[in-house]
Amino acid sequence: MTAKKEYKSLGKRHKIIDGPEKLSGSAQYTGDMRLPGMLYGRPVLSPYAHAKITCIDRTAAMAVPGVVAVLTAADLPTKDRPVNSRGSAVLAHDVVLFRGHPVVVVVATSEAAAKDGADAVLIDYEPLPVVADMESATLPSAPVIWPNGLPKDGMDLTAAHAAVDKGADEGHREPSNLHEETKFNRGDVDAAIKNADIVITRRYTTPIVHQGYLEPHAVVADPHMMRGELTVYTSTQGQFGVRDEIARLLSMPKSKVRVVPMVVGGAFGAKYGILDPLVAAVAWAVRRPVKMVLTRSEDFLSTTPTPATIIDLTIAAKKDGTLLALDAVATLDNGVFPFTIGGILGILLGGYYKCDNVRILCREVLTHKPQGGAYRAPGAPSATFAIESSIDELAIQLGRDPLELRMQIGVDEGDRMGNGDKWPNIGLKACLMAVQNHEMWKTRTTEANTGWGLAVGGWPCGMSPAASVCRVDSDGAVRIHVGSVDISGVNSSLVLVAAEILDISPDRIQLIQGDTLTGQRAGPSGGSQTTYSVSGAVAAAATAVRTKLLETAADHFEASPADLELVNGVVSVKGFPDKAMEIGAIAELAENKSGGNGPIVGEGTSAVSENAPGFVAHLAKVHVDPDTGHVTPLRYLAVQDVGFALNPMLVEGQIHGGVAQGLGWALHEAMIYDEYGQLLTASFMDYDLPGFEVMPDIDVVLVENKSPFGPFGARGIGEPPITAGAAAVANAVRNAVGARVTDLPLRAERVWRALHDSK
Amino acid sequence: MIPAAFEYVKASSVAQAIALLNQHGEDAKVIAGGHSLLPAMKLRLSQPAVLIDIAAVAELKGIKINGGTLTIGAGETYHAIATSSTVKNACPVIAACTGQIGDIQVRNAGTIGGALAHADPAADLTAVFLAIGGTVTVQNAGGTRTIAADDMFVSMLMTSLESGELITAVNVPVMSKGQGASYAKLKHPASRYAIVGVAASVTVANGVVSACRVAVTGAGPQAVRQPSVEKALMGTAGDAAAIKAACASAGADMEYLGDIHASEDYRRAMVKVYAARALTDAIAAARA
Ligand SMILES: Cc1cc2nc3c(=O)[nH]c(=O)nc-3n(C[C@H](O)[C@H](O)[C@H](O)COP(=O)(O)OP(=O)(O)OC[C@H]3O[C@@H](n4cnc5c(N)ncnc54)[C@H](O)[C@@H]3O)c2cc1C
Repeated sequence: MTAKKEYKSLGKRHKIIDGPEKLSGSAQYTGDMRLPGMLYGRPVLSPYAHAKITCIDRTAAMAVPGVVAVLTAADLPTKDRPVNSRGSAVLAHDVVLFRGHPVVVVVATSEAAAKDGADAVLIDYEPLPVVADMESATLPSAPVIWPNGLPKDGMDLTAAHAAVDKGADEGHREPSNLHEETKFNRGDVDAAIKNADIVITRRYTTPIVHQGYLEPHAVVADPHMMRGELTVYTSTQGQFGVRDEIARLLSMPKSKVRVVPMVVGGAFGAKYGILDPLVAAVAWAVRRPVKMVLTRSEDFLSTTPTPATIIDLTIAAKKDGTLLALDAVATLDNGVFPFTIGGILGILLGGYYKCDNVRILCREVLTHKPQGGAYRAPGAPSATFAIESSIDELAIQLGRDPLELRMQIGVDEGDRMGNGDKWPNIGLKACLMAVQNHEMWKTRTTEANTGWGLAVGGWPCGMSPAASVCRVDSDGAVRIHVGSVDISGVNSSLVLVAAEILDISPDRIQLIQGDTLTGQRAGPSGGSQTTYSVSGAVAAAATAVRTKLLETAADHFEASPADLELVNGVVSVKGFPDKAMEIGAIAELAENKSGGNGPIVGEGTSAVSENAPGFVAHLAKVHVDPDTGHVTPLRYLAVQDVGFALNPMLVEGQIHGGVAQGLGWALHEAMIYDEYGQLLTASFMDYDLPGFEVMPDIDVVLVENKSPFGPFGARGIGEPPITAGAAAVANAVRNAVGARVTDLPLRAERVWRALHDSK
Repeated sequence: MIPAAFEYVKASSVAQAIALLNQHGEDAKVIAGGHSLLPAMKLRLSQPAVLIDIAAVAELKGIKINGGTLTIGAGETYHAIATSSTVKNACPVIAACTGQIGDIQVRNAGTIGGALAHADPAADLTAVFLAIGGTVTVQNAGGTRTIAADDMFVSMLMTSLESGELITAVNVPVMSKGQGASYAKLKHPASRYAIVGVAASVTVANGVVSACRVAVTGAGPQAVRQPSVEKALMGTAGDAAAIKAACASAGADMEYLGDIHASEDYRRAMVKVYAARALTDAIAAARA
């Protein structure tokens, strides 16, 4: 890594500011909250994937000591809202639509009484036909889930994750379980395939994967009936969006809803307001504060895991490696409400390699399962698994080195994404070159049953306008106010930005994370955009403060601001060391002086107009046990173009986490439903979330190909590191034992079968 | 994850625990490490009205050697057993097996008595106990008796313990020269229980296998011996070819369970693979 001489704080390794609190367990999460008079809510979830509710008998539940209320959909202020998304499906009206659909909430004076009450609620169901499988869902014989079309009125959360044109659905559609299709076409694919020397066709499948955050969904809602206001404390990554949804669903003015984002114990795309409207509605109905913390099983059953995909992919090439055509149909299991990530999947699927003839069809299918949701680079691991497995196969069939082939046909700035848009400045090849120069690549050796796999991946990254306020107070502290949520350590980077501009030590800066009432506007913390968009606002606010400090001091010293310098928190007149003043003293002066600037406060905004995609190249070495099919990752190299690492330690942390989750996609994780829509993996005893013991050592290389748009050259870095792991591992398995596994995850039995089939 | 309400009594002796069990009958359950019982209670699959905690009963502790027998108190935890130099010397396979069960929290609480009494189809110690042989000492109001390993496991989650009986100790033979044992396990990817676990115990005398016991856990509803494998290996040199030949019949006549984590086919194949691995290690240990 290059040394960054130009900066004092930025580009250096700094520990995260709230690390000690989190490590020691003293950080206060939503589940730790206790408000006076607070009640506890327990949901009763549907045991069926599709059924009519014929009777709800609350008598026994109401008789449980401590139970205060047993509420159904009709008892809530949300009762008249159309149900067309997970967030709006607060409680089921008449019909349950997925296993885990909340039907009743029991509110009681203790967690135990709420649970006893929930067990005592008697609900009769009349089972209805279940559409469980995304392939048969679109057959004419399948019942249509929304025969009258999906109720209108709602919002699209996928937009938060990637600022790209996702392609449009064409015109009006008859109600169908195939509720949306996205098409990207350019060139003449059929002719190109005819002229190709080599054509590779494969079907890839990826399962429903859960975000697997440590902290389940947790919400405390506190109504103030007199003022007609509601305060919601929640584990969320997007407070403003949650506020808007609660206000919409409860028919309240947005200004009467205050959402306070709490310390988040992991979110990864899942915490944009699944449980919040329900708890808000329940608290409003009982007119008292209510807390609800999901159990792990409730969380698995009732939240929004990321969609399963089936990708039929054909690539056609010339003998010299030139990619002539890419032809793909991707089918995505949205669950019971639309969650459309086919567009971004197609953009990436057709976006890593130069190709003139592209035809991509993405089919969004509805089934009786929980609605899908975002999970770190939604759609990218699936798209990347497919294209990078096929490109690996192409290299094998052409007898080419997989890295060198990728250098030949990989995209550069100005080449096209799947949707035909041009890539801005990107670092795909810079990453490949860094792999090529790394000792792990140069000295790689293979022993029996071991192999190496290479894969690239990328993510466009989002951008939302943001604002910040910075102030210097007479106690000598610098305070920064933001309205963004810290899910990844961003606050620790924002502090460095201000420290750099004000030339003071980062530990003199206090970061104040506001809520929807007190915080400055920021986009949701998703789409790898938070540092990318908020640090510009912080930089602008700190710069405004710097100007005011210099002006105030100049006035005091009767000098020109141009003759002053700010070094180590002290403003002085250049060449006159005794004409110097601490910034706290300047603040005190400003606070007490009539006339002039007034107290030292500055505001800043940013509205970045171009995104800065982040690319990665991952190299994995695995061992495959030929008797059992068990795959063990042995070594791992993660190279990423991060633009500029504001805090390399945090960036590396993000990459470690992304690699771990990528290995989860590769080898471990799958939510499995049976033909009745029953979830078979509703706890960590059945859902295989990888632990530390199965992680290889990870070598991280940061490539700093500065973004022309991001603050200090930064790029979005949170999502890219999850994209390439599954493909890298699958390619390594192919290299180790000759078996090409096209279904995720590569669990032992699957690899064992592939080995047997290939014998 | 809150269990139904229950009463809790901390027993200070075996006699007291047994008296309480008799007093409350079917409504009561003893709790040792709680790592099988509490998860079931939290899911409300089990709702005992009275819990009798035997974790602190001193009589259930202790690891001793008496002649050729190693006796482990039923209340000893996996961690205590795995780190006991007495166990490591006298019967290393028990130390190795208990040292890999679950995770550190499970090993700090889970007990050998609880594991054998619960007889989970995917438990590890059941197979090891069957392979090395020995007895459990059990006690009720009327006195004590012993149950031989081969008579212990009846069916899924069912042992030959009578209601009101407590396991007080586990007795296994001390390994002598020429004997070796091993446990090989294919871990469930999420829970770390055994999808297939095979324990083998062998005696090698004058270069040939003179005694052999093999048992399988995880693959089916209960841990079972593999008489055909044992018979096939007896009298052979215990070399790779003999092991391979013997393991061809591993798992041939037993019941299987299949699920999303491992199909029946895969379990069948893995019983052979892990039987060969356990036998290879056991024979190497016997020869060492
Ligand atoms: C996350 C997790 C992972 C695990 N992984 C594994 C694994 O990899 N391998 C494995 O083998 N096990 C595993 N276990 C189970 C663990 O080994 C249990 O501790 C064990 O099965 C039961 O022992 P216990 O002392 O906890 O018994 P308890 O849970 O206290 O009791 C279990 C049953 O036995 C009865 N009982 C207890 N002691 C006696 C006694 N002395 N006499 C008569 N009856 C008695 C109880 O009444 C109860 O019915 C795991 C458990 C968990 C929670």
